[in-house]
Amino acid sequence: MSAVAVARSLRQSMAWIHTWLGLLAGWILFAMFLTGTASYFRPEITRWMQPELRAADVSPAHAAEAAIRTLQATSPQDLQWFIYLPDERTGITRVFTRPQPNADPKASPAPRREELKLSPVTGQPLTARDTRGGEHFYRFHFQLQLPHPWGRWLAGLCAIFMLAAIISGVITHKRIFIDFFTLRWGKGQRSWLDAHNVSAVVALPFHAMITYTGLITLVVMYMPWPIAANYQKPAEFAAEAYGRDEEGEPSGKAAPLTPIRPLIVAAARQWGGGAPRTIIIRNPNDAAATITILRSATDQLNARAPSVTFSGVSGQRLAATPAQGPAINSAGVMLGLHIGQYMGPALRWTHFLLGLVGTAMVGTGLLLWTAKRHKAGTKPFFGFRLVERMNIAAVACLPAGMGAYLLANRLIPAGLPGRAAMEVSAMFWTWFGLASLSLLRPTRRAWTETLGLAALIWGSLPIVNMMTTNRSLFASLASGDWLFVTFDMTALAFAALLGWGSWKAHRVKQPPQRRQRVAPPRRAPMQEVLGGV
Amino acid sequence: MTGRCLTALVGGYAAAAGAASLVARLLPIARAEATVWGMILSFLIFASLGLWAFHEPRLSRVAALVWGVAILCGGACLLLGPRA
Repeated sequence: MSAVAVARSLRQSMAWIHTWLGLLAGWILFAMFLTGTASYFRPEITRWMQPELRAADVSPAHAAEAAIRTLQATSPQDLQWFIYLPDERTGITRVFTRPQPNADPKASPAPRREELKLSPVTGQPLTARDTRGGEHFYRFHFQLQLPHPWGRWLAGLCAIFMLAAIISGVITHKRIFIDFFTLRWGKGQRSWLDAHNVSAVVALPFHAMITYTGLITLVVMYMPWPIAANYQKPAEFAAEAYGRDEEGEPSGKAAPLTPIRPLIVAAARQWGGGAPRTIIIRNPNDAAATITILRSATDQLNARAPSVTFSGVSGQRLAATPAQGPAINSAGVMLGLHIGQYMGPALRWTHFLLGLVGTAMVGTGLLLWTAKRHKAGTKPFFGFRLVERMNIAAVACLPAGMGAYLLANRLIPAGLPGRAAMEVSAMFWTWFGLASLSLLRPTRRAWTETLGLAALIWGSLPIVNMMTTNRSLFASLASGDWLFVTFDMTALAFAALLGWGSWKAHRVKQPPQRRQRVAPPRRAPMQEVLGGV
Repeated sequence: MTGRCLTALVGGYAAAAGAASLVARLLPIARAEATVWGMILSFLIFASLGLWAFHEPRLSRVAALVWGVAILCGGACLLLGPRA
């Protein structure tokens, strides 16, 4: 209580709460930032993790016709077909189907069948190694591998801490413009503060945007009360804001399904351009069939793209998403800004780098906490050692775990049952296993060794990829397969970055002396944090 | 300090939820729109109240305002009931 009992200046109290917010949420935020940054390339990571597949460039209408041909041959009497059309990033069609419910009303509803990958060209099923691909990083980013709904609540709690940390950080910080240009290397604690300030200030609009829009992505879960204040039934809100789902019953009378291509053309006309992304066909080959076409959101900021529903027999337009007002549009744009489907390659890479800057902001903030409290020659208190070790677990061991997830994809045999879950296990065993093992080593050694191992894992990715697939860096360069080239180069860049960190940590030869105000000796920036226990 | 933390975290959430709901209920625009404005604003209210809870030295004042906003706004929403 005494800490806040006396009246303090706004800057003092904000600095105090900023430290606590960052310390409590920092490690999870670090993981959320890093896996979220990776998720900017979710379909690309999936494609790298299924090297058997090659993207085909066909029109969405062609892919839709091919998929429907296959579904007509395999399960024409289903309740529902979901068809995810390919775009230039995913490159393949995905479908899943839901069978008609059991006639017995007491039976449990029929579950959806397993998702299939189809060739966009022929519609034939594709086989590739079972993997969660980029979807794993994406899910971890907001579910934290915890049971539903706890992961999402914890992620939301950390996000609101982040928002409060940004606001309090800005208030604490009086020289926002000057610090834009200030980075003093090799000055211990001062360098960590500079690095934290630079990474925070340079990308401040990004940090604020990504945090607030992140909260908005799950706002209906986190803050459902405004809905309850206005609606008797929450489902009414969704229907009013985004349109009703088609839930028609089958008539039992057979009728041929209308061709899809004219409907795609009609939908595009209604939208004034734009490509379809998803097609939902309900009660196919029945007189009551409906076909819903959702627009792709890759060419608009609003991530909630409109849809049009047609009769599946006559092709007549039945319903369309209602026009959206400014609030619902704003929420859709915030969602779009967060998940970034609208981005072209340049903007996507910019955001990827900004995400890394955000990761660095959280990481430097965590290291600053220990740098500030490190006193040479005194026995560190328990909290200090805990934070020091948790920092190693987050900053050094998580990248190792993420690399291990990718490495496992190449090392686990492609046909092994349960391999997708094994890849995920590889990430967590490496992450937490390495963090536990590092406890056996002195802090500075632990930094050097865990960062070094992470660098090795990332550096080995292009080599293992070359040995286990026919899509090596050289082959990809020769065939102009830029996705694989970029992936290998990025892995090498991460390896270099982690290796540099390891080397920096290693270069500290002696435990640092307590620094005085006068003429500090030149030393490595990590020294004060990484000095022996 | 426990009381302050609880007030900031739980009370701040309750106050943000109450204020956002009241805004959503009272804004004289379409109810779907008003609902979404309330939801968008709620996190800013939460973060601001939470931070202020650690700036104001007197805990009694913090608790009175935060829990007061939560109870008043929440109560008003309950009394008004959902829009027809």
